Amino acid sequence: VALVAAWPLLGPRATRLQRSWIARVAVEGRSMEPALEPGDWLLVDPDAYRDRAPRTGDLVLAPDPREPERLLIKRVASVDDDGDLELSGDAAEASTDSRTFGAIDAATVLGRPWFRYWPSSRFGRIG
Amino acid sequence: MLDRLLQKAAPRTVAHAHCDIPCGVYDPAQARIEAESCYKIIQKYHDSTDPIFQTRCLAVKEERAELTKHHIDVMWHDYFKPEHVEKFPDLHDVCWKASKQASQVKRTVDIAEAQKLLDLIDKIDDMWKATGGPAATRLQPSA
Repeated sequence: VALVAAWPLLGPRATRLQRSWIARVAVEGRSMEPALEPGDWLLVDPDAYRDRAPRTGDLVLAPDPREPERLLIKRVASVDDDGDLELSGDAAEASTDSRTFGAIDAATVLGRPWFRYWPSSRFGRIG
Repeated sequence: MLDRLLQKAAPRTVAHAHCDIPCGVYDPAQARIEAESCYKIIQKYHDSTDPIFQTRCLAVKEERAELTKHHIDVMWHDYFKPEHVEKFPDLHDVCWKASKQASQVKRTVDIAEAQKLLDLIDKIDDMWKATGGPAATRLQPSA
């Protein structure tokens, strides 16, 4: 019964989720400490950078330019004249970032991680 | 119940906030050496009556135990793969206990605790060896 009742909600959402298949991610690695810890579960807004390009200080989810199936979560360190983004981890000494792979094309950014829903002790908006 | 909810809520996608340019060199010996330092420092601590020396022992033990923990974590997160967990179902438990034991060694001057840490690292070493770690991750000596 619950399933049937939920159907109208699931219908349109399924297409949206498909489009934004990336809506949730789990953080691995320590390069974003203390803002993000390994094991954090985040919601990602795939439309956040549709209207405005990422700016310095924004969190981004983007494919690793060296291995595009692999997704990176990093912060924008600077934006160059062509709109390319230099990314870096917050914990610079523990991070592989633009110092090793160069600037990334802003168009490849998949979304903005904006909310941590797990662990519950750290539940809330991130930035 | 909570487990199942969590499973549903878990993201299917990993976002990497890594870390290393993976050199691929892994060896529990790195953790073992730091843990041996802790062990010997505890011995020296008890052999001494000089409070300044003893204070230095505690400070250095703290630092070495932290390094031990780091090297255990690197084995756990970076070397071991899901297929290793299939082979050794207690892999997570051993690594977790070893990390916790490193914390325990930080807060104590009980030599038995340092020995427990060494024993746990040796268990990690056994799993590393049994999963082909030495050949896969270390440079082989040049002929």
